[in-house]
Amino acid sequence: MNKIKENGWHILLLLICLVLLLPVIFMISNSFKTLRESYHSMLQIIPLHPTLSNYSTLGRQVNLLRLIWNTFFMATIVTLGKLVTGLLAAYAFKYFSFTGKRWLYFIFVSTIFVPFTVIMIPNYLVISKINLLNTALGVALPQLCDATGIMLFLKAMDKIPKSLIESVHIDGIPSYKILKDIVVPILRPSIISIGAIFFINSWNEYVWPTLILKDKSSFTLPLALENYISSEGGTNFPLAMALSTIMIIVPLLIYLIFQRYILNSISSSGLK
Amino acid sequence: MSSNSKKNRFLTIAYLSPTAIILLVFMIIPIIYTLYLSFFDWNLIAPTKDFVGLKNYTSIFTDPVNRKVLLNTVFYILLLLVLNFLIPYFISIIVKFFISKMQTSYKIIFFIPSLFSLVVGAMLFSWIMNPVSGPVAFFVRYLGVALPNWTNSGAMAIVMLCLITNWKVFGYNFVLLLTGLGSVPQNIIDATKMDNIPKWRMVWDIVLPLNKSIAFYVLILTIVQGLQYVFTPISVITQGGPYYGSSNILYHTYLNAFVLYKTGNASALAVITFLIFLVLLYLEIRFVEGRTDRYE
Repeated sequence: MNKIKENGWHILLLLICLVLLLPVIFMISNSFKTLRESYHSMLQIIPLHPTLSNYSTLGRQVNLLRLIWNTFFMATIVTLGKLVTGLLAAYAFKYFSFTGKRWLYFIFVSTIFVPFTVIMIPNYLVISKINLLNTALGVALPQLCDATGIMLFLKAMDKIPKSLIESVHIDGIPSYKILKDIVVPILRPSIISIGAIFFINSWNEYVWPTLILKDKSSFTLPLALENYISSEGGTNFPLAMALSTIMIIVPLLIYLIFQRYILNSISSSGLK
Repeated sequence: MSSNSKKNRFLTIAYLSPTAIILLVFMIIPIIYTLYLSFFDWNLIAPTKDFVGLKNYTSIFTDPVNRKVLLNTVFYILLLLVLNFLIPYFISIIVKFFISKMQTSYKIIFFIPSLFSLVVGAMLFSWIMNPVSGPVAFFVRYLGVALPNWTNSGAMAIVMLCLITNWKVFGYNFVLLLTGLGSVPQNIIDATKMDNIPKWRMVWDIVLPLNKSIAFYVLILTIVQGLQYVFTPISVITQGGPYYGSSNILYHTYLNAFVLYKTGNASALAVITFLIFLVLLYLEIRFVEGRTDRYE
């Protein structure tokens, strides 16, 4: 009886897997079909006449390498910025005592959920004033720190015995050396997974870049993809799917390699 | 360590200042400046701003378009709570307590869509749900039904746009909630098994109360992040249409600021959004105690 019930739940859960993944599978498969074929046999998972024509059309219409580079460059700056500022701040919160610590930490963490519309107008004005419109730096600058990172690094630092840090500190080893030679190596798995999460989020980012990047040569992949989706319904879907397929390769690869670390970090971000 | 406390003070400032400066320049000051702008009539470009007092605020509650957008926002929140909070919560309980294998596989698979951009999600759903050439239209045509053109109806569009964010955040919220359920002590669960207490009672009476804090965290995440997430499909697919029918307060803020160049209106909407955020933050502090003093 219990067995039957459990199998029933498995059927439901497998259905959810299908609903979540089938769109992506169809997307990849249709990106290898011509417009005609994608319409007449849209549910054929393995294309009858696989073709790279969508990819070559894309290559003619947009500068793919440039798009990938722009996205990669922006995501790298943002990720490195968030990791460095986050590690430094977490170190200070963990190992230094100072007045106003509680308040400062509270303010930092509170900023995580501030809706972007609350700050977008002044930030846009600042970025345009300092002539960073249409640059990766303009997108990256306001996001060079992220309190989520501080929170997660603090949690990871729990694993380092406080006495270890204190004893080397008493030995007179400067704290930047402690950070570089002891903390960073121990936190490596956390740094990798938190970095991976930051990178993926930034790779996919759409809203803030649409405000800053107006010139086509500065576009990132999500912005280029948006151009292929027409609100009137006249979208050339195989073409848009080819671009999407290119776009998901990087996050998917990162997930394949660091899946366990990433899921662990996501998990611990919810625990208090 | 007190002998070099001066050096420590310097180091503390040095380590905290990168974060502090960026947050000050790109977060704190902008919030204050947005508040300031909300009392002016401005078009983002003109050299002068006209002080109008509370006019931008009163217009939010009297102007029918603004009222429609506020109402839509409530509709969005309710829908997001069901789709992105209740359903993942239910499924995480099933995976945690009602099946005995493959838990990790489900976790790994459910999480995959959250790796992808919402622009990809928006593109995929506008294909799947395309009333003329999409696979769903194709299926229902067999049954002799025509798929309505959902972009022509505000209510239907809102449901579709929420489904797109659901596709993306389902796995993420599922992982968070499942982790929370994992912190329910195993001996309590074993005890209820020995006493032959039905599983649903165990979940209802023991697990849900114990898991309240993380559940509340995900609930708030669902509202605050969900409203921001839904911005992307709105912008890509409907642009808030038909006639503001699928717009919400965040998209309307953007529209006022960067399309209509009504900076004052946009800022007033942003301030209202910020107030909603403050209420949620307060609730989080009240109910999810401990999250804000992690360093101790």
